[in-house]
Amino acid sequence: MTERIYLLPLWLRLWHWTNAVLIITLGITGVSLHFANPASALVEFSLAVRIHDIAGVALACLYGFFVIANAISGNWWQYVPKPPGILARCWAQTRFYCWGVFKGEREPFRITLETNFNALQAVTYWLVMYMVLPLTIVTGLIFLYPQFAPVEMFGVDGLLPVALLHYLSAAVIVLFAIAHIYLGTMGTKLTSLFKTMITGWHEH
Amino acid sequence: MPADDIPPECQKHGTRMTVRVFLTRVRVIQAVMIFMVMLVGSLAHAQNSGPSPEALEKARIANIKCFSCHEPAALEHPPQVGLDMKKLRAAVLDSDIFKKSDHGRLACTKCHTEGYTEHPHAADAKESTGTCSDCHSKKSVKIEAEFAKSVHAKHMADTFTCTNCHNPHLMRVAEKLSDPAKIVEQDNRVCLGCHDSDETFAKYAPEKKARPLIDDIHSWLPNTRLHWKSVRCVECHTPVSKDMLSHEILDKKKAEKKCISCHTVDSALNVRLYRHLVKDEQQKYGFLNSVILGKSYVIGATRNPLLDTLLIALAAITLVGVLLHGLIRFIAARLRRRNRHD
Repeated sequence: MTERIYLLPLWLRLWHWTNAVLIITLGITGVSLHFANPASALVEFSLAVRIHDIAGVALACLYGFFVIANAISGNWWQYVPKPPGILARCWAQTRFYCWGVFKGEREPFRITLETNFNALQAVTYWLVMYMVLPLTIVTGLIFLYPQFAPVEMFGVDGLLPVALLHYLSAAVIVLFAIAHIYLGTMGTKLTSLFKTMITGWHEH
Repeated sequence: MPADDIPPECQKHGTRMTVRVFLTRVRVIQAVMIFMVMLVGSLAHAQNSGPSPEALEKARIANIKCFSCHEPAALEHPPQVGLDMKKLRAAVLDSDIFKKSDHGRLACTKCHTEGYTEHPHAADAKESTGTCSDCHSKKSVKIEAEFAKSVHAKHMADTFTCTNCHNPHLMRVAEKLSDPAKIVEQDNRVCLGCHDSDETFAKYAPEKKARPLIDDIHSWLPNTRLHWKSVRCVECHTPVSKDMLSHEILDKKKAEKKCISCHTVDSALNVRLYRHLVKDEQQKYGFLNSVILGKSYVIGATRNPLLDTLLIALAAITLVGVLLHGLIRFIAARLRRRNRHD
């Protein structure tokens, strides 16, 4: 008989899907702006600017909500990589993705109420959510109000380092999103983890 | 040259003229023509190279006399008694600013021709003040044609002159200013001088024409005031012109509204504001349009091809990687299922 646990509270699921929609929107409009080309515009420039600005501010607010809700609920602890034996657990998880999964082995990590993420997930999520995303948001906000950017840096316009950090950190998030969506298919069934993310219930 | 090519009139009148004599004469005429072309060319060059040092010194000394009254300091310490101070207040100019302008090396009397040498100046002296086309005749033909199509000509054809925008005592051409920030500051001050001031706008605008609020009519433009600090109004309010900035000022209906004209790799800024600097493009840090980069980060135009390629490749590798992983998972699962059945 399958064991079910209520893993993800409503606020977390709502945050996750809103975050997902905003990041996809920002990704598409961001690509349209950076690779702006009159011959093949993904989204028309001025429209892309408007959408990117609104979605960016919404993401910044949502991140604020995420930090506060995490602090209140104690969910922040899930993201903290727990050191004793973390390297060995990361290695076991990597070995599973690179080899074990093809042989039909069981995943080395078992989801519990206390620990939602495997070691590799915790390290990656911690990096993306607490290092990369804040960097993208802060640089994005400076981009939105360029008067706060340094006037000049390294002999070029001061907005360049801000823009570069925004571009690079956003690219990391896009790469993460591709891998994240794919790893969502690694549950018991292809759709299991997506279902968990919608209903909050996890089935072993 | 074959005899058949000799013009019929030579054949007719010079029945005794041999082909050799004819060719010699043609060569002499050619040589004379080339000499004349060279002579005219060198004279033109001499003219373009500007006035001689002696003439410049003469102009400088002559101008000292003019500025003895027309400097702002003269308002506080009039050099003569009986000056009409009200009139003078409207005709003072900082000589240092004038000297830095394009016309700064010319004698005042180059334009203020008759009636200005004596004081008090002749009552009708103003009428004989030279016009721009007196010196800039070649340019003015092109400019007048462009201006005729301009929004300014539509409403103010009779009253609008070059000096409405171009203060001959202050302005410098963009090429000489070279620094885009200075070009933008100078040129936008001209436009905003009227379009951001009710008082000046009312002075020139047709009657009953209310000044639209400049921020309101540009509200569609993100970071409006920052745009005006980085680019000129005329980047959007003139059509692209090959040799120099067009004087056909476009109204809001015709003005450029496509952001992508500037915000792309092949940015229009390279033939507009940065026209004079494009030759200095140095591929700074491997960026495209790095000539703009020194002053502004322009989304879509500021691009580093190496970084772009690297990130696109990383995204492609990640995508292909996960798809391949999924495919192997699928095949491995089928093989396992088949083995179990066997």
